Amino acid sequence: MAPFSASRLALISGIAVHIIDRYAYANRIRAVDPAYKVGLALVVLILCLVLDEPMVGLLTVGWMWSLATLFAGVPGLAFGRILLTEASFLLLTTVGVAISINTKPPTATDWIWRLGPLWVSSTPEALNLGLHLVTRALGSAAAMNFVALTTPLVDIVELGRRLGVPVLLLDMMTVMYRLNFVLLDSLDRMRTAQEGRLGYSSFRCSMRSIGLLASRLFIDAFQRSQRLQKALDSRGYDQELRVLPSQYHRDPAILLAGVLVVTSQLLAWRAA
Amino acid sequence: MTCILEFDDVSYLYPGRETFALRGFTLALPRGERIALLGRNGSGRTTVFLRCNGLCRPQAGVVRFVGNVIQHDRKSPRWLRQQVGIVFQNPDDQLFSTSVGQDISFGPLNLDLDAAAARRRVQEAAEMCEVSDLLDRPTHALSGGEKARVALAGVLAMKPDVLVADELLSNLDPWVRLSVLGIFHRLHRQGKTLILATHDLEVVQSWASFVVVMNAGQAVFAGAPDDLLGNEMMMAQTGLATVWGARSGVGAPELL
Repeated sequence: MAPFSASRLALISGIAVHIIDRYAYANRIRAVDPAYKVGLALVVLILCLVLDEPMVGLLTVGWMWSLATLFAGVPGLAFGRILLTEASFLLLTTVGVAISINTKPPTATDWIWRLGPLWVSSTPEALNLGLHLVTRALGSAAAMNFVALTTPLVDIVELGRRLGVPVLLLDMMTVMYRLNFVLLDSLDRMRTAQEGRLGYSSFRCSMRSIGLLASRLFIDAFQRSQRLQKALDSRGYDQELRVLPSQYHRDPAILLAGVLVVTSQLLAWRAA
Repeated sequence: MTCILEFDDVSYLYPGRETFALRGFTLALPRGERIALLGRNGSGRTTVFLRCNGLCRPQAGVVRFVGNVIQHDRKSPRWLRQQVGIVFQNPDDQLFSTSVGQDISFGPLNLDLDAAAARRRVQEAAEMCEVSDLLDRPTHALSGGEKARVALAGVLAMKPDVLVADELLSNLDPWVRLSVLGIFHRLHRQGKTLILATHDLEVVQSWASFVVVMNAGQAVFAGAPDDLLGNEMMMAQTGLATVWGARSGVGAPELL
């Protein structure tokens, strides 16, 4: 079996991007004005950060999951898997906050365990801090996932245009997003071609193949950018990617959902 | 015969290369015809196309569009690009936007049309290229055939007089090829000049009304398809006899 490699990791993340993108385009609230969706997520996220209560974080996760699945029609399992991936990274990083590992016995800690030559210790305060961190970050991540799974980049760019984000930045976002998929396709084809010639049959071969693939992909990206420039020039490009804005509808249900989420966040904070 | 594009002793050398892409290239392309451009890879066809659209400046010689010498000041390329549309070989090089509708609207908006007029152009081009149902789709989620038709729609939305297509048919399945040839047919009936780079002699025989053969940066033949296919010496000189013979089983190399 071919060893796990950077190119395979890139392909896996590419698949994840494709999946998120598919839901963003195919959900039930795709045509709703992105300002409503992004506005709702931002208010919820800010409250989750400011109120800083585990109950508020968990409630936010619940609300965002419900809105994405019941309201937007995104499969609950897909939302859950993405959140689980984020949660696993969060838990790994929070371990360092909640637990201390030393080679010398710690002083003034409530809980101490000895594991061979190592001393593992913690305090209720450290665990509480870890809990706050995890729930706050998960709530924020859920709010962002709601946007990612219901709003394609084309709508985010359109919203950015309305908000006066510099055109150059938005154009770069558009082209990078597009090239991301084109280069992922190239990466997939190149890797398959390498695999077909035993490019990943051993660790040594894998390292060599990854190096060759990276350099080839860099050249490919450069050549593609030159061809893209020519194609844009041929259609009259003049320092700005001018395209028609999308047409959206305004959905009061999103506003109602926003009021409900915010009220429940505030009630949970008061109760805590 | 009215000429739409004329190349007069045009030469072009890409930076860092030793051989000229175009070397004393002279050719007059007739207006309103279905023109096929034949030639081996590296014979300079793509450079001719880039020249048609003003995308590369010749180091020697002049190019005329309907009798006017193409200038390279700030305004001229814009005017030329409105008249001559180019569809590139790989649609992925052309589609930049995140949605099909927006990509098609890029050209019309660059012509300074207002949003309503641009939207109409998008609809018309999409209908002609049979991609109306794809307007809200992301460009990266299209099949190869859909991408080719969207790239074509993006150019047709600018309503050019001349459509240049660089090997557009080469990677398409027979069904999409027929669909694209159908679009070409409708454009020809509207009086447009079509220039298609191809390696396919059957397309030359069945579709083209004028054919140009290029070799090493020069046009070695320009005329009617029957004159080319019936000219044994020219077919042999350009190596096309082998390709044509392989198709009919006459004179096919043993390898085939």
